[in-house]
This record gives sequence, C-alpha cells and structure tokens, in this order.
Amino acid sequence: MRVEYINPFVEAAYSVLTEVLHGEVKRGNLFLKASTKSVMGVAAIVGLAGEVEGRVLFDMSKQTAIKIASVMNMEELTELDELAKATISELANMITAQSVTKLHELGFRFDLTPPAIITGENMEVSDQEVEALIVPMETPYGSIEINVAIRQRS
Amino acid sequence: MSSLHAEQNVRGSKENDKLKKIDFKLISFTLAGRDYGINILKVKEIRKAGNFTMVPNTPPYVKGVDNLRGDIIPVIDLRILFNLPAESKDATNLENIIILRLDSLVLGIIVDTIEKVVGIASEALQPPHPIFGDINIQYIHGVVENESRLYIILDVDRIFGTPEKAQVSALPSAAEEAENTAEPASASVEVVATENVSLDLQFISENLSTFNQFFVSPINIQWTKSRLRAWKDLRKAENLDFQFTQKDDGEAFLSPFFSPLTGSLWTETQMVDLAKMLKLEGNNLVIWNPGCGRGYESYSLALMMETQFKASTYKVWASDLDLLSISMAPGLILDENELDLSGKSFTVQTKSGLQFNSNLKNKILFEFHDIKNINPFSKLHLVVIRDVLSFQKPHDQEKILVEITEKVKTGGYLVVGTNEVVEHENWRFVGHEPWSIYQKI
Repeated sequence: MRVEYINPFVEAAYSVLTEVLHGEVKRGNLFLKASTKSVMGVAAIVGLAGEVEGRVLFDMSKQTAIKIASVMNMEELTELDELAKATISELANMITAQSVTKLHELGFRFDLTPPAIITGENMEVSDQEVEALIVPMETPYGSIEINVAIRQRS
Repeated sequence: MSSLHAEQNVRGSKENDKLKKIDFKLISFTLAGRDYGINILKVKEIRKAGNFTMVPNTPPYVKGVDNLRGDIIPVIDLRILFNLPAESKDATNLENIIILRLDSLVLGIIVDTIEKVVGIASEALQPPHPIFGDINIQYIHGVVENESRLYIILDVDRIFGTPEKAQVSALPSAAEEAENTAEPASASVEVVATENVSLDLQFISENLSTFNQFFVSPINIQWTKSRLRAWKDLRKAENLDFQFTQKDDGEAFLSPFFSPLTGSLWTETQMVDLAKMLKLEGNNLVIWNPGCGRGYESYSLALMMETQFKASTYKVWASDLDLLSISMAPGLILDENELDLSGKSFTVQTKSGLQFNSNLKNKILFEFHDIKNINPFSKLHLVVIRDVLSFQKPHDQEKILVEITEKVKTGGYLVVGTNEVVEHENWRFVGHEPWSIYQKI
C-alpha cells in the first residue's frame, strides 16, 4: 500500500475512536497480510474507489461491538440489535470519511461507498489479489482491527 | 476404483510433503558405530580438543575441563557415560567435541566422529522403542530415519539434568509463521547436503540464517564459500575460532557482502555506467525497486532515467517492508553535498530542507509492501532488487525469482546485488563490476 495513504487511516482511526469512546485508545504495530484472515465476529465494510480500488474493513468481536454501541448511544445495550448495528456502521463511516478527507488534503481523490455490516461466527475474509494492511487498535472495550486492502488504479 | 487410486496418490504425495517439510535439524555423530543426533539448536559449536585438565573426585565420564576461549567448561565422554566401548586416544590426539548450550549450562561432549547436519520433518520422528538404544531410554528424544540411516536423537536436557526443561516434542522454530506450514524443503540445506560441502559451511549457514536472517542458497553460495575461506584465515590470525558466538560475528562476516552505492545517491558517472548496459527504450517503462529502504536507490534510478533516457516515460514502483524507512522516503531530506550538478537541477528548497521536486517525485510510488505477497504488475521492464533475495528464505527466493521471470518482458533487465548470482536459463549476464545485471532472453 502506498505509504502516503497509511497515516490518514491510522490518524483518523485514533482520533475518531478517542473521541467517541472517551477513553484511552492504543495503536498496535502495523503489519501486512495476504492470505485469509479470520474475522472476530462483526465486520463493517466500506468500499473505496477513485485513485485506488478496494475496501476498508473494521473487525471486532460481538462483545466489543455491543459495548461500543452502548457507549456511543449512552444506553446499555445487551444484544447486537438494529440500533447497535447501525451505530457500528456509523462508526465505520466516520473513520473512513475522516481518512478520505485527510487524503483529499494530501491531494488524493478517494470515493467511499455506504458501509455494510456482516455478523456471524467462524467467518474469514480473503483478498485474492490485494495485500491488506492491518492496523490493530486497542480500546477499553476490546480490540478493533482496521483492515485496509487497496491497490492503485492505473 | 478411481477414488482408491486418488487416495493412494494423496497418501504418496503426503509422504513426499513430509519429506520436503524440514523443520528440525540435527547434528549427527557416531558413538560406538551407531548414529546419533542432537537438535542443532542445542549445539553451540564443534571443535577438536584434547589434553583436558583432569578434575579429581568426579565420575569417570567427566574427562575434565577445557578452556573454551576463556570459559571453563566441563567435558563429558558420552561413551563412558553410556557404557559404550570407547577407544581412548593418547594425550596428543585430539578428540571430537560437540559443545552444547543448554539454557545457562555450557558443556562439551566427546564423540567418536561428527558427521553432518541432517534436516528432517518433525513428523518423521518416532518415539523410542526400548530395543533401539543401548542407552537408557529416557535419554532418547526420538528416532528418525534419513537416507537409510537410523539416527537416535538424544534429549540432552534430560541427560544433563535440567528435568523441568526436558525437550517437548520438536516444534517448528519460533521464526516460522503458521502460514508457512506448506513450505517445501529449505533449499539451502538440500543444496549444501547434495554438494557434499563441508560441515563448516553448513554450520556457518545455520548461524547466518538464525542470527542475521541471511539464507545461503544458489544466489549467494559462491560468495559465501569464498568469504568463508577468507574468514577462517582472518579469525586464525586473531587466534579466534571461525564459528560465530553472537550476532556481531555474523554482521562482521557479512559486511563485505553488501553492494556499493547503497544508502546514498549515485553519482553521474555511476548512472552513466549503468545506463550504458541497459538498452531501455519506448514509453511507459515500468521499473520495480523492492527493498528500496529510505529511497536513495529509487531516486537514483529516477535521476538516471531523467538524464540518460530522456526520450522515455517511466514509473518507479519502490517498496520496502521497513515501515519506518519507507515512510520517510517521499519526504527525503537531502544534503547539498550528496548531489552533483545534474542532480541539483531536480531539487527544490522546502520548509524542512532540500528535497527532490514534485516533478521527479511524481514518477516514483513508494509502497509499504511485502514482496512475498502478490504484486500488481503484469509487465516489467527493469527490476532492481539488490541484497534483498539473500535475506529471504530459500523457498521465498525461488518464488520471487519465478514471479520476476514471468513478469519481466523479454529483453528486460534484472539487477541483483553485487555478490548475488542468478543462474537460470531465462537470464543472461550482461553486466560488469559492481553491477550484476541480467537480461531476459
């Protein structure tokens, strides 16, 4: 992945998560992955187009998703209902949008698609032709992995 | 009928896979005519020594102590320990010693002869059967067959008395990732073994891969062999053993390997020299530069294209796995002194210092990328990959070379490290010192 794209995603994730969770968020070490990766339980996917083609995936466990949705809605949620899913979708949208804005300021034109939420057990995600960059974020409610798989369009 | 046939095929290939998946290496030696082995990770070094200082009131198998470059270590005669017939050499003859490092304990064991490094798949290890050993069965970690020889693998942790640490079933070394389980044999060990190369070379190869992530393979074996000869002389002159005791030794061994013109911009003379050997023409030339580090090589390539191949349009795709270095590459700050006149015309003063102008920068794409993963290229004209392949595992080296060979156009070029060699029917050497240039035929 082009190095100039990395920081916007990392910074946006950090800034949005710190803001909505009002807690300490720590970033883990970035790494690259090219094979199938298992998903923790809840995946929010946002498509990217423009100078690149690919997607961003926000990966977390069901428990983490419920807790985060609770904090963001300021009410205690006990299951991953429609409200919780919509909240996680919104979170994915916020982070991706902020990344795209930062990229825009750097001169890169990205478009994004509306987010989709996928939930289930024993899921895996694979990208046949694109390398994925993984940014692990540690929040007080569990880990979130931001999985960016994009390639240049040219 | 057909499913049975298929099943046999699967089983046959599974056995082949077992043979190919080497994840346990042992040093083989003989005791009283029988073949034994010890996990290479427990072996610190091998030497010939004699004339040990006898220590009174020790069991008969403790031959004494030896001075190993300043460290006093006990020397144990395994043959006596295991009640095997031992031919005792007279005081002037040197015994074969294997020096073991078990956690904090270092000791030497005397054996009859030391054979070679044997690589096996840990699945091929069988638990000991009482009938196999003349020695106490709890000292045997397992038994394995390799090239019609039967090796009894000793559990040295158990023998030399750290009971809690007794060897668990051989696991792949921590360096291997889970995804690499389908990896075929480590080509370096196979090549080295089939060429009947000295044990010294095998040992150094093991050290280099463990300490310095440098993997001996057909790409660099010529250099490694000649370097080993020189290294041995060097160490002898310093009164040191040639084997490595720490990572620094490996770094010292490898220091002459690296290609010149690394980590700094090329001068105009050097660019002209390189350009003469490359017949690049046409437009939309795709140049791939993996392992670019902080970017000096990529910028130098772009400058070469700008000044020596003015008629062609091109793009340099640079990548590295070192995130820190490559994030700094787009904004590389230059020193006025590192540029000659022609280079200076491509620079511009910025707030943070002297940088290359956007015109040049736009021709280079810096990526955080692992070359072991798939890449997006379909047609390449020039690949500059110096001192990178030697630091990949032999299986990955082959894979990457095959991919490059497929993707480079006929007539295109591959530049590897000064001390790296590509022996492949599709590549013809067209370079000269210090450029290892190959053209695809």
